Amino acid sequence: MNLQINQHQINEIHELQLTGEVDAYTAPKLKEVMLPLTEKEGGTVVVDLSGIDYMDSTGLGVFVGALKSSKANNSSLKLRGMTDRVKRIFEITGLTEVMDIESGVKGEAL
Amino acid sequence: MDIQSCVEVRNEWDIVSARQLGRNMAKELGFGNVDQARITTAISELARNIYLYAGRGKICIEPIDQLGRKGLRIVALDNGPGIREIRKVMEDGYTTSGGLGAGLPGVKRLMDEFSIESTVDVGTEISATKWLR
Amino acid sequence: MTAKDALTERYQDLLSVYLKAKTETTLYKGQQFSRKLLEQQISPEDLVSLHIQVMDELFPNMSEEMRDSFDFLLEAMIGYGFAYREHQSLRDKQQQLESEIEVAASMQQTLLLSDVPEFDELDIGVVSVPAKKMNGDYYNFVKSGSSLSVAVADIIGKGIPAALCMSMIKYAMDSLPEEQMKPHLLLENLNRVVEQNVNSNMFITMFHGVYEPESHKFFYAGAGHEPGFIYHAKEDQFHDLIAKGLVLGVSRTTTYHPYERVVEVGDMVILLSDGVTECRTSKGFIEREEIVSLIRKYMDLPAQNVVENVFQELDRLQGFELRDDFTLIILKRMV
Repeated sequence: MNLQINQHQINEIHELQLTGEVDAYTAPKLKEVMLPLTEKEGGTVVVDLSGIDYMDSTGLGVFVGALKSSKANNSSLKLRGMTDRVKRIFEITGLTEVMDIESGVKGEAL
Repeated sequence: MDIQSCVEVRNEWDIVSARQLGRNMAKELGFGNVDQARITTAISELARNIYLYAGRGKICIEPIDQLGRKGLRIVALDNGPGIREIRKVMEDGYTTSGGLGAGLPGVKRLMDEFSIESTVDVGTEISATKWLR
Repeated sequence: MTAKDALTERYQDLLSVYLKAKTETTLYKGQQFSRKLLEQQISPEDLVSLHIQVMDELFPNMSEEMRDSFDFLLEAMIGYGFAYREHQSLRDKQQQLESEIEVAASMQQTLLLSDVPEFDELDIGVVSVPAKKMNGDYYNFVKSGSSLSVAVADIIGKGIPAALCMSMIKYAMDSLPEEQMKPHLLLENLNRVVEQNVNSNMFITMFHGVYEPESHKFFYAGAGHEPGFIYHAKEDQFHDLIAKGLVLGVSRTTTYHPYERVVEVGDMVILLSDGVTECRTSKGFIEREEIVSLIRKYMDLPAQNVVENVFQELDRLQGFELRDDFTLIILKRMV
């Protein structure tokens, strides 16, 4: 499986629309795109996960890294549109408590 | 026989002149056709590196005789940017400059001896020797 | 006669026979000869040169154009020679790396080997199988006083980085004083160690529990680990063993919640790594219910046989290709 990343930017808000799987093979690609965005002070990164049906722990690691980076750089990271399977692994790992996760399956653009 | 002959490398045509110089000397010294081809290929690679990365430099070819052991030495000199991480460029699969794509590890394997010295912002000197068997 | 002369002679024989008779047999011999060339590490340009030499002998009056064309062919083969030698060198390097990994993997095995302690009250079974050579799952049993301490951890990712990280966890755990063996405190301590020592996109999930034989209580806490199960014999039901908590290594100040359960005779505590519930089959993921029904199928056997049978069935369902490291532990109260 592959991962497709679509990027849009509106002012200081970067939106990433992900489709496919985030696993050990595709995680480096996501990291390469997402991490630099979280390093911009004051910026906002919104990641739409409604097209992701599988994520493994390496994929989750990219989000942990992005969370740490956004805290260190005063930017903000929001996740939205999680499918049940993806939501489950964020819940089990306790990350729902420390991440900004928009509930509801699909939301309109900000 | 000339002690040392050099060719200035500034463009792709000079690569051919350097090859010609190397081939003539290799023939004269009695290298067989395979070794001639290896020597000229090594020269091409070194000259090409000069042309691509340093812009200009020179290739010198000299016959050598150490205690009756005969051989040919190629010296590639340039005053280009130098190589920051020599270990890296000596790794297989590191260079991606197009061409043969064999890079310096390839040159090293084509020849019998190989040495490289490089100082950042000063230049690079590579010397490679093939012994006559 | 040198090896090279022998090759030249053999090539000359084969070629002249072929030029006379042009049979498939000779072509077949030629193909077998090429294997010999590879064995002796003859590079492509050497073979062309061999051909030229033999042709010179067989046809001394070969036309000049033909002769020159061979020289051109030789030159054109040099690039293949380059590639051939690079391939050889990369292959050697790969073999070297593989044997280094073998050594590391067996070191890891010895380092992390955790003997299952003997308890009159408990029947304990464990399987832990890596997907690749190095195991990113970690489990550990320690008998402290009369209690049993059990830990299962899953280090994000697989292979060597995970294995290195796991060694760190082992030593951090070994160096904790005994009074901090309470599961939630142990996790808080480990979390600080991990947070300081791993890079930003690494984390570890962990479940830690202590079984106290006097009270038959199981104390536990979890750091984002896949929930295990508890089986209550009296009602013949499996329940999730939920222990909420953030994974280790994300935030330095994380605290963990202490949980406890009473374990009755015949009850089982089942711990696992997410490799167990992330097993994929051709039909999709294996659901937790399926794991439960596999355990149920074998649960009258001794604990070690249960975990082994469950592993074998899951392995078979995945076509014997584990995607993730797999660890399954069962503690069953006997008396």
